[in-house]
Amino acid sequence: MIVGIPKGLLYYKYYPFFMTFFKELGLEVVISPDTNKGILDEGVKYCVDDACLPLKIFHGHVAVLKDKCDIILIPRIMQVRNREYICPKFCGLPEMIQNSIPQMPRIIDKPIYAGTRKKLYSWAKDIGRLITKDKSKIKRAFNFALIEQDKYKPGYNDNNQGLTVALVGHPYNIFDKYINKNIVQKLNKLGVGVITEEFIEETLIDEEVKGLYKRPFWTFARNSYGFAANVYREKRVNGIIYISSFACGIDSVVIELIKERIGNFPFMTLKIDEHTGEAGLDTRVEAFVDMLGRGVI
Amino acid sequence: MKITAPHLGNVYIAAKALFDGLGIEYIMPPMNNKEALEIGSLYSPEEICLPYKIMIGNYIQAIEKGADTVILPGSCGPCRFGKYAEMQMNLFNKIGKDLNFIVIDAPTDIGIKELYSRVNQISKNSRRRKIRQVGALIRAVKVMNLIDEIEEKAHYLAGYEVIKGECKRLLNSCKRDVLNTNNPRDMIGILEEYKRKLDSVKIDKDKNPIKIAIIGEIYTIIEPFSNLYIEDKLMDYGVSTKRRLTPSWWVKDTLLKPTKLNSLEIKRSASKYLSIGVGGHGRECIGEAVLAQKEGFDGAIQIFPLGCMPEIVSKAILPTISKEKDFPIMSLVVDEMTGEAGFVTRVEAFIDLLERRRKNVLSRS
Repeated sequence: MIVGIPKGLLYYKYYPFFMTFFKELGLEVVISPDTNKGILDEGVKYCVDDACLPLKIFHGHVAVLKDKCDIILIPRIMQVRNREYICPKFCGLPEMIQNSIPQMPRIIDKPIYAGTRKKLYSWAKDIGRLITKDKSKIKRAFNFALIEQDKYKPGYNDNNQGLTVALVGHPYNIFDKYINKNIVQKLNKLGVGVITEEFIEETLIDEEVKGLYKRPFWTFARNSYGFAANVYREKRVNGIIYISSFACGIDSVVIELIKERIGNFPFMTLKIDEHTGEAGLDTRVEAFVDMLGRGVI
Repeated sequence: MKITAPHLGNVYIAAKALFDGLGIEYIMPPMNNKEALEIGSLYSPEEICLPYKIMIGNYIQAIEKGADTVILPGSCGPCRFGKYAEMQMNLFNKIGKDLNFIVIDAPTDIGIKELYSRVNQISKNSRRRKIRQVGALIRAVKVMNLIDEIEEKAHYLAGYEVIKGECKRLLNSCKRDVLNTNNPRDMIGILEEYKRKLDSVKIDKDKNPIKIAIIGEIYTIIEPFSNLYIEDKLMDYGVSTKRRLTPSWWVKDTLLKPTKLNSLEIKRSASKYLSIGVGGHGRECIGEAVLAQKEGFDGAIQIFPLGCMPEIVSKAILPTISKEKDFPIMSLVVDEMTGEAGFVTRVEAFIDLLERRRKNVLSRS
């Protein structure tokens, strides 16, 4: 049996877990290619028009993958931390895909609650049972997968250049080079290093988040806010760039909270959607870097 | 302390009953209007949803009338509504307007003690005895249930009435008259009288009007200003409408939620298409569409604000229901830029389509 994993949304954050898990169970794993124009076009064709860019791209990945595998993983990730959500669209992702793309193969859509190891294991057990009856094999695959996931450290931490900016936003906007037009390389070329939220300790984020009136109930919003507030307070960076997809409900809130917290600290929001032109983005990034270099603010 | 609360459909009537009963001064923001929306859009982040913007307008217009405290229900996700309170507090700090927020959250999120102290902030201003305070609350709930019932009846009977426009006239004068008194008991009396009047509206039982279910995001379907008074327009066209989500439904649903016994019928109907709650009222939207088809409605109209996350999920699922059950559903997205002419054209075209389907012109080809 061939299992397909679309390279979109939280793939960038959690692919070692899923890949190792299915490989250890003895399945062949296919992954869709890196995001490109063709995938985006497919996604725009199938996806409901009000959705955000990352979701459209995910639809595109599924569309190119669906004929190449027997079963396809549409991760319905409900939680990665206890009592927190990701985004309502993640909860309904399998339904959105099934009702938008015709002739889908079988899909794995069981809700994933990754708040604790035990809850995650119950997901793995149910999925493993579709494939093998050998319980110890499932357990072994699960353990291996977790080890691989722990080893995996995505993100950027480069402050050896003249200037440093913090790159904030949802992981899929930060790591998908097609979505963000390879902004990290662009910044590096201009002599700017990049830090992302993975290199700030959880405890520091918790500390920042405590200052909020209301417990943040979206995991990635919590990370983005905590990270931005921390780098601002400890003056680790010269400026902050927030990559946000157009019509992202969560970003519309988090950006406001961050702006409120950091006051006049240099901050730029890059809005991206399927019409984003690269030249316009270049200009804005260059202007921002110029401004940081001159120390205008 | 002068209390205000943002508008949500007819809740202001119940709010007035509650605070009159408690003997606390209540400032009703002016009914939603263009100016409120303009003020709201001026101060709100660009991409936030429409309800937020209208609420900001409500607050500022209420401050002008002298309000200093606002009461707002809260939630803890995954929909954006849960973050409203914090953003609005920040905003009022920034623009230098003094407004005290009392956020009523679920005890699971803030603890029962905190909830008690927040409720106490309101009730300590009442000089009435505890038992009378409880009585005021019960009467306010009754007022809310009555006005919701009256509205539902008027919307449904509008398709059957013999004298055109009678239901709408009764509904409007009811909303006007009920505000003339400051005694909750009199309010209940007025509402009950209007309920009786509606029951005796002359109806033509042989009529078979077009019936449309209104589904979608709770604020934009309950608050008539945000959906450009679509229900009033449909009454004018002689269309019967039904909307399951009402303030009284919401209260019942929220109270029953911990027991998981809330709106079972809706959940059961939705389960084939969406088995899991996606926040907001996304699952309810799906369930209502299925139920509307089962109850013999001609079509459904889904309304939601631009960028509403849960409703985008349901919008992706609705075409499948529409196809499988041969049931027309139209999605309308509203925001501060929505133009009335374009909106009305779409609603009219949808009604035309439903009428033509009845006459089977589409299958003649």
